[in-house]
Amino acid sequence: MRKGFIVQLCFPILFVLSSELYLKMEHGSITDQRSSTFSLLDEDHTLANSVRFTLNQDPRVEFCGYSIPHPSENRVNIRVQTTGDPAKDVLKDALQNLMVTCQHVRGTFDKAVADYKARPPMEMDADGQN
Amino acid sequence: MRKLRRSGKIGEFVSIFVNEKQRCVYVASDGGRVCRPLVIADRGISRVKEHHMKELMDGVRTFDDFLREGLIEYLDVNEENNALISLYEGEADTDTTHIEIEPFTILGVCAGLIPYPHHNQSPRNTYQLSRMDTLLYLLVYPQRPLLTTKSIELVGFDKLGAGQNATVAVMSYSGYDIEDAIVMNKSSLDRGFGRCIVLKKYSVVTEPYDRIVKPQMISSKSGYVVDSKMQILDADGIAAPGEIIRSHDLFVNKHSPKIIRDQAKPGELRETPTPVTYKGPEGETTVVDRVVLSTDVNNRLCIKFLVRHVRRPELGDKFSSRHGQKGVCGTIVQQEDFPFSERGICPDLIMNPHGYPSRMTIGKMIELLGGKAGVSSGRFHYGSAFGEPSGHADRVEAISETLVKHGFSYSGKDFIYSGITGYPLQAYIFMGPIYYQKLKHMVLDKMHARARGPRVTLTRQPTEGRSRDGGLRLGEMERDCLIAYGASMLIYERLMLSSDPYQVQVCRTCGLLGYYNYKLKTAVCSMCKNGDNVSTMKLPYACKLLFQELQSMNVVPRLKLTEA
Amino acid sequence: MKKVSFMDMPDVPKGQLPEHLELQRTRVFCGSDAPTHSEGIQYSGAYASMGIDNSLRLDSFCKKFRVEVIQLTEDEIEFDMIGIDASLANAFRRILIAEVPTMAIEKVLMVNNTSVIADEVLAHRLGLIPLDVDPRSFEYFSGNDSPNERNTIVFKLDVSCKKGARITVKSDQLKWLPNGSELEMTTPNPSAKPKSYTLFTCSQASLPEFSDKPIGPKHQDIIISKLGPGQAIELEVHAIKGIGKTHAKWSPVATAWYRMLPEVVLLKEIEGKQAEELVQKCPVNVFQEIEDIGKGKKKAVVANPRACTLCRECIRGEGWEELVAVRRVKDHFIFRIESTGALPPEDLFTEAVKILEDKCDRLISELS
Repeated sequence: MRKGFIVQLCFPILFVLSSELYLKMEHGSITDQRSSTFSLLDEDHTLANSVRFTLNQDPRVEFCGYSIPHPSENRVNIRVQTTGDPAKDVLKDALQNLMVTCQHVRGTFDKAVADYKARPPMEMDADGQN
Repeated sequence: MRKLRRSGKIGEFVSIFVNEKQRCVYVASDGGRVCRPLVIADRGISRVKEHHMKELMDGVRTFDDFLREGLIEYLDVNEENNALISLYEGEADTDTTHIEIEPFTILGVCAGLIPYPHHNQSPRNTYQLSRMDTLLYLLVYPQRPLLTTKSIELVGFDKLGAGQNATVAVMSYSGYDIEDAIVMNKSSLDRGFGRCIVLKKYSVVTEPYDRIVKPQMISSKSGYVVDSKMQILDADGIAAPGEIIRSHDLFVNKHSPKIIRDQAKPGELRETPTPVTYKGPEGETTVVDRVVLSTDVNNRLCIKFLVRHVRRPELGDKFSSRHGQKGVCGTIVQQEDFPFSERGICPDLIMNPHGYPSRMTIGKMIELLGGKAGVSSGRFHYGSAFGEPSGHADRVEAISETLVKHGFSYSGKDFIYSGITGYPLQAYIFMGPIYYQKLKHMVLDKMHARARGPRVTLTRQPTEGRSRDGGLRLGEMERDCLIAYGASMLIYERLMLSSDPYQVQVCRTCGLLGYYNYKLKTAVCSMCKNGDNVSTMKLPYACKLLFQELQSMNVVPRLKLTEA
Repeated sequence: MKKVSFMDMPDVPKGQLPEHLELQRTRVFCGSDAPTHSEGIQYSGAYASMGIDNSLRLDSFCKKFRVEVIQLTEDEIEFDMIGIDASLANAFRRILIAEVPTMAIEKVLMVNNTSVIADEVLAHRLGLIPLDVDPRSFEYFSGNDSPNERNTIVFKLDVSCKKGARITVKSDQLKWLPNGSELEMTTPNPSAKPKSYTLFTCSQASLPEFSDKPIGPKHQDIIISKLGPGQAIELEVHAIKGIGKTHAKWSPVATAWYRMLPEVVLLKEIEGKQAEELVQKCPVNVFQEIEDIGKGKKKAVVANPRACTLCRECIRGEGWEELVAVRRVKDHFIFRIESTGALPPEDLFTEAVKILEDKCDRLISELS
């Protein structure tokens, strides 16, 4: 399903990434680092939507979106346009943010489960009404 | 005369029909007319009383007693024109002559399988009945419909089951559901939804003096192996049941004697192998299910194989609900991409809502509501034809009340989250169980391609039919369309160059076909006995065949040639 | 809705959206005909014209984020996640369904099957049986490897029905073979040593994870097949590790889903007969009648909004939509995970988050 507006114009640089080390530059000029389209293999909406969300939260990003060119193929194109910084760095920062978010989620969740298990069973009814 | 019939003096299937316009009385007693039993009513009061029904339930009376005592009679088509029949006892007035025993008997057995047919546009019901004939061989996991009708229970269809109750969401999704296509859930298919078993029979008749030979071991690099074609043969040379059979595998390793008129030279094989090979789709796991050895009429050994193939639904397989809404599987989507409801349910099938407005199959919507209520409350709901007043069909209001009681919306529309973005969808989606049937037309049986292949001997044109690896016909009407476009070169290519081009030598003087003499390397005309005026041209072979057939009938088709 | 300009109200604190916009940003309005404002406004500059920064800083996220476990049993967990966006919640849900690995039966070696169930159907049913084994102690089996004790589990099923009554073959008759396959491959060379289908170097029972807890199916009473007198099934199965994306049998959850926290608000005071009607309407008892001691009239209050199933009965009918507002909170998710038994549900969620982290990690390493 299409999400975001990926426009494949001549000038953006196309990076193709997959689980094997496979970096391919496709079109055009290398001068404009602010906008790029990243093409990832073996990915789908799971990662792409989360990355899009984290990218949007970054004030340096002017535009970001992703699309899946064809549903039969496992490929995602993520487009990033920034207000000045190179798009690769912004994407990397967003991914780092996402990782930290996940770690925080994991930590909070583990603590909540431990709290729940440590709680004496009598208190369960009170919390069930939440 | 009708009194005579009602008292049993004349046969009960005799019909007496009064035609006012023609002022005559038709009495018909031939066989083959369709008759329906109806309760006789005297000025609107039914002759069948309470005590009759009680006696029927106790077993004292039978249906034939009712017939003989003049309470019920059979009416055929003509006599029904003279009768005023009321559907229910409550609606009868003084003019009524007959009362229906039960309104759903108006429709036959096949139509009785459709729930709420009285809410559908009538052609849709007719299409559904034709769909019933194209039903499938064997479903692996058949289910009985959630929304039954009285007819289904009477017939016993619920014990057989020809489809499955699929959770259907009526929404537009992915764009692959256009023109009645259906989007299916890959995880549902993994778990066995829509799987069917197709059984085919192959038989081999052995002529006398044929021998079935044990497969020979041939030595190869890794030791003694059997020839790859003979992998599945048992020690007796016949395929073993339970073996997976592939294309080009042999069923029977049979040898037939060569017809030798003279004495055979010593050392020469007296028999040729005439194996029976299996031709099937590549890459599919077909299994030999059963092998039967028997004899036919002429006491020849006859071996029959039952080959079984378990088919999983794929792109192109045809499905239909019970309301004439057929559709082909458009795409198969992962379960996590599918929308899910607040209770965590995600549909098995997504149907396009564009299939409803022009088709007007309201019965399908009511079936969804009834099925949803049935699943929540735990009892089967009924949808017999014209059954609302008598209780054989559940009213929509009652169904809605059940839905509300279980926390659903009265309209059957749920709040659904998108599986792709995670946000809720911006409309409430109509979702619930509908009984879906898998139809016989599966893409594996139909897929066919030909680039170049066998030709018919007579006309040298490509063969016809998928089994003969044939081509597709560009018929007369298609030819007319091409003519309308003025695409002459396209017609030339399609109808001659791709079909049966043939080079002929035509004599300019006599207009008849000549031949090409390879020794002299020139073309010669048989009539004129020389090769001076012969030119070559390309004709369809069928055309040349036509000329020669006409010639054989003493009609002379002469060709007049001009420069191209 | 009053439209206030940010400039006109000097007492509105800076950095805060006007009330109605804040409501639109954080709540889904469930109207009687359609839900509105369901999409999240993620763009950092969405409210830039008003001078408000919509971006989510990592530190503010970490401060606001909360998890509360409501219910935890051996197979199910229900917990609340507050302060997270739907994209992330959906990513976790998708990974839970499709990308957390499990062990499931993949290869079936048939020796004898004279039952009425076809070979392929029997194999299909065996594949769907959930196994009670932690997949983290196993490795993936790729095409080049040979099956060994690190990537395969071998089971055997050997049942036959004597003359007499019919018997039902249940999943407890799947016996674990810790020493590997007992069947021999037919070799072309009759003099060579027979090769087994698996190469186990040591018995799996000797491994520490399985020494006290033998591997078997999670539920012992799953019906595999039924046999009549004289019929028998003899087969051997190999189970390997996989993910739900390839086939649903490898999905570790029966299902995993979330819903947003319902919020039901009474826009006006509802008293007397109307209050009674409202309380009656709701099938899950969201509303309750309370005696208002001061005025002496009965008043309806929202007692249990969490139970709301969005049947929309309370807003069905004339005029009710102005009285009752049914909404959903966009950043409060009630997650439910129902595990099939291989991993306990809290471990499943942790694994899912780890998988998302791994994906990001891989992408980061590719980028640099």
